[in-house]
Amino acid sequence: MNSFCLVMAALAQPLPWIGEHSALDPSGTASKHVASLWWAMFWTSLVVYVIVMIALGYAAFRRRTNAPADATSSERLTPAPRSVHLTVGIATGVTVLILFIVVVTDFFTARAIATPATGAVHIKIIARQWWWYAVYSGDTVPQQQLSVANEIHVPVGKPIVFTLTSRDVIHSFWVPNLNGKTDAVPGYESNAWFRADTPGVYRGQCAEFCGLEHAKMAFTIVAESEEQYNKWYQAQLAPAVPTTDSLRSQGERVFMTGTCSSCHAIRGTGAGGTLGPELTHLASQRTIAAGTLQNTPDNLARWILDAQRIKPGAAMPSQELSSRDLNVLVAYLEGLR
Amino acid sequence: MTAAMSPASRGPIDEDVQELARTWSRPPGFWGWLTTTEHKSIAKRYIITAFTFFLLGGLEAATMRLQLGRPENSVVGPDLYNQLFTMHGTTMMFLFAVPVMIAMGLYFVPLMLGTRNVAFPRLNAFGYYTYLIGGAFLYISFFCNTGPDAGWFNYVPLSGPMFSPGKRIDVWAQTITFTEIAALVGAVEIIVTTFKHRAPGMSLNRIPLFVWAMVVMSFAIIFAMPAVATDSLFLALDRSIDTHIFNPAEGGDALLWQHMFWFFGHPEVYIIFIPALGMVSSIVATFTQRQVFGYTAMVLSLIATGFISFGLWVHHMFAEPIPVLGESFFTAASTMIAIPSGVQIFCWIATVWTGRPRFQTPLLFVLGFFVVFIIGGMTGVMVASVPFDLQATDTYFVVAHLHYVLIGGGVFPLFGAFYYWFPKITGRLLSERLGRWQFWLFFVGMHVTFFPMHTLGFHGMPRRIYTYLAVTGWGPLNLVASIGAVIIFVSVVLFLVNVAKSWRGGAVAGPNPWHGDTLEWATTSPPQSYNFARIPVVVGRGGLWETPDEQPVVGGLRTDTREVLLTTLLDAEPESVHELPTDSIWPFLLALCMGITFISSIFAPWGALVGLGLGFLPALGWAWPTKPPQPERISPERAS
Amino acid sequence: MTSSATSSRVPTMKPERVVRDVSNLPTIAFGSQSIAWWGTIGFMVIEGFTLALCAATYFYLRRNFSAWPPEQTPRPTLLIPIIQLGVMLVSIIPMYLAARAAYRLDRSGMLKWLLVEVVFKIVILVLRWYGFKALNTQWNSDAYGSIVWTTLGLHTTLLVIDAAEDIGLVIIILTKMRDRLFSDVTDDAIYWYFTVAAWVPLFFMLFLTPYVS
Repeated sequence: MNSFCLVMAALAQPLPWIGEHSALDPSGTASKHVASLWWAMFWTSLVVYVIVMIALGYAAFRRRTNAPADATSSERLTPAPRSVHLTVGIATGVTVLILFIVVVTDFFTARAIATPATGAVHIKIIARQWWWYAVYSGDTVPQQQLSVANEIHVPVGKPIVFTLTSRDVIHSFWVPNLNGKTDAVPGYESNAWFRADTPGVYRGQCAEFCGLEHAKMAFTIVAESEEQYNKWYQAQLAPAVPTTDSLRSQGERVFMTGTCSSCHAIRGTGAGGTLGPELTHLASQRTIAAGTLQNTPDNLARWILDAQRIKPGAAMPSQELSSRDLNVLVAYLEGLR
Repeated sequence: MTAAMSPASRGPIDEDVQELARTWSRPPGFWGWLTTTEHKSIAKRYIITAFTFFLLGGLEAATMRLQLGRPENSVVGPDLYNQLFTMHGTTMMFLFAVPVMIAMGLYFVPLMLGTRNVAFPRLNAFGYYTYLIGGAFLYISFFCNTGPDAGWFNYVPLSGPMFSPGKRIDVWAQTITFTEIAALVGAVEIIVTTFKHRAPGMSLNRIPLFVWAMVVMSFAIIFAMPAVATDSLFLALDRSIDTHIFNPAEGGDALLWQHMFWFFGHPEVYIIFIPALGMVSSIVATFTQRQVFGYTAMVLSLIATGFISFGLWVHHMFAEPIPVLGESFFTAASTMIAIPSGVQIFCWIATVWTGRPRFQTPLLFVLGFFVVFIIGGMTGVMVASVPFDLQATDTYFVVAHLHYVLIGGGVFPLFGAFYYWFPKITGRLLSERLGRWQFWLFFVGMHVTFFPMHTLGFHGMPRRIYTYLAVTGWGPLNLVASIGAVIIFVSVVLFLVNVAKSWRGGAVAGPNPWHGDTLEWATTSPPQSYNFARIPVVVGRGGLWETPDEQPVVGGLRTDTREVLLTTLLDAEPESVHELPTDSIWPFLLALCMGITFISSIFAPWGALVGLGLGFLPALGWAWPTKPPQPERISPERAS
Repeated sequence: MTSSATSSRVPTMKPERVVRDVSNLPTIAFGSQSIAWWGTIGFMVIEGFTLALCAATYFYLRRNFSAWPPEQTPRPTLLIPIIQLGVMLVSIIPMYLAARAAYRLDRSGMLKWLLVEVVFKIVILVLRWYGFKALNTQWNSDAYGSIVWTTLGLHTTLLVIDAAEDIGLVIIILTKMRDRLFSDVTDDAIYWYFTVAAWVPLFFMLFLTPYVS
C-alpha cells in the first residue's frame, strides 16, 4: 500500500473527543449562558419572522374586489387609509421595543460571562503557526511552572483564566463546548476564561485564519477531577522517563544525533530545541500535530516520515530515516509517558 | 430651432431629433467604443464586466464547495484553497457587488432624473477603465499562481511582509486601489448628477426612492473608500519600503488594520445593500401600481441606515483584545440599525397591501428578498450581541449570515432589477417562464446551501478551512451545502440562457411595458443616446402617473452641442445650461497610465511617483479645449 | 402572462407640451452653480477624510509608545516647517487675487497672479523637501517614523496636484483661452485654500505635538 493510502487511513481513525463539541451542547458555565441567550433570541426571531411572513403573504395574496392587473390611474395615487399608517406605526414601535429588550438581555448575559479577575488556574497561551503552547503559571513558583503543547488539562468546576498572545500572526482560541472565542494577537495580551462543569475531553480549534494550515490547528481540553488533575500536573512536571531497554536507547540515540533535538526539547536529556513542542511526555497525549492525528505508533511514524504530506507547510520537515531507525525512534518516543 | 411656448401638444420637430442624434452619436467602430462618454454604454460595460466577475466568483465558490463536500477531500490543497476563498471574497465584494450597483445607478439615475448624461462624462469612462484594468490584473495574477491568499479582509500580520512574502498580497492591495478609485468616481457622478441635473420640478421630495438610495450609497462610498485605500496604502508601504505601521515589534499595531478595514468594511455591505433597497422600492411600486407607502419615512430610513452603518465596525472585532465598555456601544448601534430596515419592510408590505400585485418575475425576486433577507437580518441582530458573537464569529454561522443578507438583500433585488429593466436596456423582455424557473431554483438552492451552515457554525466549524476531519461530524451538512451549490449553479445557467435567448429574440417591450411611474419609462426602449428628445418637466411625486395625458417638457436646449440643463439643488428650478465635453481617448490613456503606475509600484516602489508625474500629460490632454471658442452667456451671479 | 407588454399593445409615447424655455440661461456659472465646483468639493472631501484617517492613525499608534518621539529619535526641527507654513499662508494672497480677477473676467490679471502663484508653489515644494528632513526620522525607523512620513507624503501629493493644476491652467490660458477657464480658476483657488487649511492642523500634529507630549 502506498504511503498516501496509509496516511488517509490514519486520518480516518476516530479521535478521542466526546460530546458534540457544539456550542449548543454546553458543558461550561459561560457557554450555558450563551446557549440560553441563543434560544431566547431564536424563539423571539421565529415568532417575529412568522408574523411578518403572514403579514406579507396576506398583503400579497388577499382577495381584492374586481382585481384587474392594471389599476386606474386615480387609484395609484390615492393616499393609504389611516389604518395602514396606524399599523406601520405600531409595528415600528413593537420592533423598537423588542430590539431594546434584546440589547438589555445581551448586556446582562455579557456581564454574567465576564472574565473573572482571578481563577483557580492561570494559563498563558502562546499561539503559533500552527500549534498551541500553554504555560501554567503554577502560582508563580518557578519549579511549579509547566509548559505543554496542544493538550491542556484543567480541574473541573473551577474557573480557568487564560492570557493569550501570539508569536506570529493572529490566531483564535475556541472551545465551543466551554465558551466563546478570544483572539491571540501579537503585541497584545488578551484575556479569556472558562469553567468546565462536566468532566470530559473537549475539542478546540483555531478560529482565525492564520495561514496555510489554519485548518489543522486544533487542541484538546481535558477537564477532570481535581485529584486527577493534580496527578497529571505532577507527572508532567517530572523529567523524561529514563531509557532502560536497548530498543529505546537506540531510539534515543537517533533522536539526539539527528535533527530532532534542534527543534524539540525533552527535559532530563540534552535535547533543548524550542521551535517545536516539548516532547517530554509525548506518549501521554491523545493526539499529535495539533489535533490532526490520533497518537498511535503508526501515526507517529507517518508523521515523522511524511509530515509535509499530512500538514504541508508545517515547520516539521519530512524526515529521511531508515525503517529500522524509524521503528526505534517511535519506540523511544512512545515510551515518554 | 425654436422653443415657442406652444399650447398645442405635439412631438419634437423631426430635424431637431435628427440633429440631436448626430450630436450625441459616437464615431463608428472600435475607436468610437473606446472614446465614448455615453453613460448607458459605459454602464452596460460595467454590468457585463461585473456579471462576468460574478460568474468567476461563483466558480471559485463551487470549487470550494466541491472540496468541502467530504471530509479530508483532496480536490484542492491548502495553498490553492486559500487563494480560492480570498479570490471569491475579493471578487464578489470589490469586482461584482459594488460595481454592479454603481452601474445600475450610472444607467438609471440620469434617466430617472430626466437628463441626458452624468455630470462628468469623461470621468465616468476613466472610472470604468480603471475598474477593468484592476479586475484583469487580479485575475491574471491569480492564473499565474500569484493570487492573494490571506482572505478578502487580509488581516495583518499574516498579510504583512514577514508572513506573506512574495507579491500575492501586493496584488490584492493594488486591486483595492483600482476598484476604490472607480467606486469613488461612480459615487461623485451619482451625487453631482442628482444634485444639479434634475428635471425641472423634481424637488427633493419628488426624487424617486431609487435615486435617493443611490445618493445615500454614494455618500457612504465617499467616506468609506478612503479608509480601505489608506489601510492598503499603509500595508503596501510596510511591504515595499519597510515602514512599520502594522509591525508590533517597532510600535506598529496589528489591530489598527482591522479598525480601519472594518470602518470601510461595514459601510461596504450597506453600499451593496442600500441600492438594492432602492431597486425593491422601484419594483414594488410598479408591480403593485402604487407609490411606495411612507415616502418621507423611506427616505429617512435610507439616510439613517447609511449613517448608522458607520458606527458599527467594531462588531467585527468583538473577539479582539479591545475595551469591553466600548463594545456595548457597538452592540447597541448594530441592533439599532435594524429599525430603519424594519420601517422600510413595513412600508413595502403596506404598499403591497394597498396595491394590486402582479406576480411577475421581478416581484417574485422581491418576495424572495423578504423571505431570505429577513432571516439574515435576524441572525445579524443575534451576532450584534457580544456573548453570542464570541461563539458565532469566524465560524460558518457568520458565513451563513453574510450570505443570507448579501444574497437575500443584494442579489435577489438585483436579479429582480435585471428582469425589470432588461426591457428598457435592450428593448426586449426576458422570458417569464425561464425567469420563474430561475427564481425557484435560486431560492431553493440558496436555502439548501446556506441554511445548514448555521448549524455547522454551532458545531465548531471555523471559517476558511480547506478541510476537516470526519470525526468532527461536519461531513453530512457540508454535503448538503455542496448540493445546494449545484442547484444555484443551474439557476445561474438558466439566467444566462434567458439573457442569450431574449437579447435579440425576446418579446418587444415598448417604452413602458410594466406601466412604471419613473422617468426612464418616458422614453424609448432602449433609450436613444440623448435619452429624451426634450427634457421632461415633473409635476408631482407620482412621475408619469401624474401626467397620463400629455408630457410637459422643456424647450430651448441646443441640439447642435451636447447641452444639458442644470437646476437648483432644492427645488430643481432651471438655473443654467452646460455643454458636456466631446468623446475622448484621454480617459482611457490616463487609466492606462495609472494602471502601469500602480502595477509597477509592486516591483519598484518609486515607480509610483514616476507614473503619477507622467499622468500630468494625459490629464492635460483631457482638459485641453478642442472646440473653437464660441459666444457664452456668463452668469451674472459671481462672488466678488 | 404579461398582459401589458405584448407587441400588439405597445403603448405609444405621449404627446408633449413645451412649458419652459431655457434658451437664455447662462452657459457658464460660478461656485455651486458650476459642475466643476462640485467635483472639486468631492475631491476635497475625499482627500480631507484620508488625511483625517492619517491623523487618527498617528494618535492611535502613539499609544504604543511611552516616549513620543520614541527614544533615540530627536524632536522635529522647526525652522523650515515654520517658514513653509508662513509661505503657504502668504500664498493665499496671489491665489485669491487670481480668483478675484477671474470673477471680474479679467484674463490678463488672472494670468499674472496665477504665474505668481506658481512661483510660490515651487518655493513651497522645495521647502517641503526639506520639511521631510526636518522630521528627524526615517520612514523605516519605527511606527512613528512611518506614520509621520506617510502623512507628510500624502499631503505633499496634494501640493503636487495643486501645482500641476496651476501650471496646466496657465498653459491652457496662454494657448487656448476659453471663457469657462474663468470659472475653473475660481475652483482651483478653493482647492488651494483647502490644501492650506488641511495643512494647519497637520503642521501642529507632526511638528508641534512632539514638543507638547
